[in-house]
Amino acid sequence: MPSPGPLRFQLNGHPVEVPAESARILLDLVREDLHLTGTKRGCDLGTCGCCTVLLDGRPTLSCLTLARLVEGRSVTTIEGVSPRQGLSRVQQAFVDHGATQCGFCTPGFIVTATALLRDHAHPSKEEIERAISGNLCRCTGYTKIVEAIQSASREGV
Amino acid sequence: MHLDPFELHRPASVDDVVRLSRDLAGGFDYLAGGTDLLPNYKMHLNLKPHLVALEDVAELQGHTLARLGAMARLADLETDGALTAAYPSLGEAVREVATPLVRASGTVGGNLLVETRCFFFNQSYFWRASLGFCLKADGDRCHVVPQKEKCYATFSGDLAPALMVVDAEVEVAGPDGRRRMPLHELYDLGGDGIRRTHLAPGELVVAVHLPEASRGRPGTYLKLRVRPSYDFPELGVAASGVFEGRRVRSLRLAVGGADPYPRRFDALTDSLVDTELTDERLQEFSARVERAVRPVHNTFLLPDYRRRMVSVYVRRALTRLRESAAS
Repeated sequence: MPSPGPLRFQLNGHPVEVPAESARILLDLVREDLHLTGTKRGCDLGTCGCCTVLLDGRPTLSCLTLARLVEGRSVTTIEGVSPRQGLSRVQQAFVDHGATQCGFCTPGFIVTATALLRDHAHPSKEEIERAISGNLCRCTGYTKIVEAIQSASREGV
Repeated sequence: MHLDPFELHRPASVDDVVRLSRDLAGGFDYLAGGTDLLPNYKMHLNLKPHLVALEDVAELQGHTLARLGAMARLADLETDGALTAAYPSLGEAVREVATPLVRASGTVGGNLLVETRCFFFNQSYFWRASLGFCLKADGDRCHVVPQKEKCYATFSGDLAPALMVVDAEVEVAGPDGRRRMPLHELYDLGGDGIRRTHLAPGELVVAVHLPEASRGRPGTYLKLRVRPSYDFPELGVAASGVFEGRRVRSLRLAVGGADPYPRRFDALTDSLVDTELTDERLQEFSARVERAVRPVHNTFLLPDYRRRMVSVYVRRALTRLRESAAS
């Protein structure tokens, strides 16, 4: 099987060049080869949303994306939506509202919520619930997560 | 879970896809959004040595009110208000597919040709090995209906019934050129459950064509599932038609999520045209649809419940159409 050449794409605003076989999954590439472990592996089958990244700005399941197919595109992980110092407004709102318990699903929620508030400055509760319906949390019961996103939307992202 | 090695191909045109499919002679899968294929590959279900990614084929992309490219993303259909208003059954169905994250990648063609599902198929290799595998993957018998040499896995796409009721046509391309057929004729109702469509080897779906005559016609799609997000349909009922008061002027009904293929019920709906759809008649009609559908015990909900819900959902769907005419 011929080995493809290096894979080039933008990761969190910076160009990267990394070897990637055809069968390499983006989640594995990000975590194991590029050592950005904020993106979590949950179900690994597209059910839980823990592995959510932004692909050209759109929330996408990195566990169901072939790494080769992001060639030339832009990938933003949880590390890329966090400021260099401190927390983003969405992250701070999650802290303030106790919207995280074990924290495993939190990066996926933050990435999804950040994209939602970028596109809809003031989403309704129903719009928030709908937007996060692909992200599962087994701890919080979602109420505090929705409240945190509502709060971040009031403050502006 | 890591994927076993395969060779990835990225053709840029439909002609290149057709050429490749001929060269690879069946040893490949098409990769559209990957939201169904890649989980199946992770579970070691029917792996192929080659994947042909359709992502770079410009002709398959995008959508208009008249045409949905096979690679049009479900999320893009969902947010197109003009499209969802023009074809309400499609608008309601596309919102119900899985989750926003799956719809960001999932495609029209992928949903139409989504792999059928079964408790005995959608399992890990280890789980399946312990039972000696099944007809659909690696084995030679069905655990659901053991006396038959046929696969009863359930068709679990939401778009097919919703598009069938607006008389959508599907355009396919293959080694012998292009052809178009009504979407409901894409599915091979006489097949063995393994072969489920009338696509010839190597043929691919290029687009779905939406007839102007169906535009703006009232329609609906009702989906039965356990959780209000993510789940595949345990039953999906689509209806589209025109009523004048209670009188049926035109009507289409299709059911998915219950049999190995989505089905339209033209003989039954034609019998209602130019009649008054009274509550009694609706009751009788929905019971006839229920009798024509045969779910088996291969999904989460029990088949008897799913079958009885057929008439409930048919009644709800047609009541909704009748009421929309009254208002």
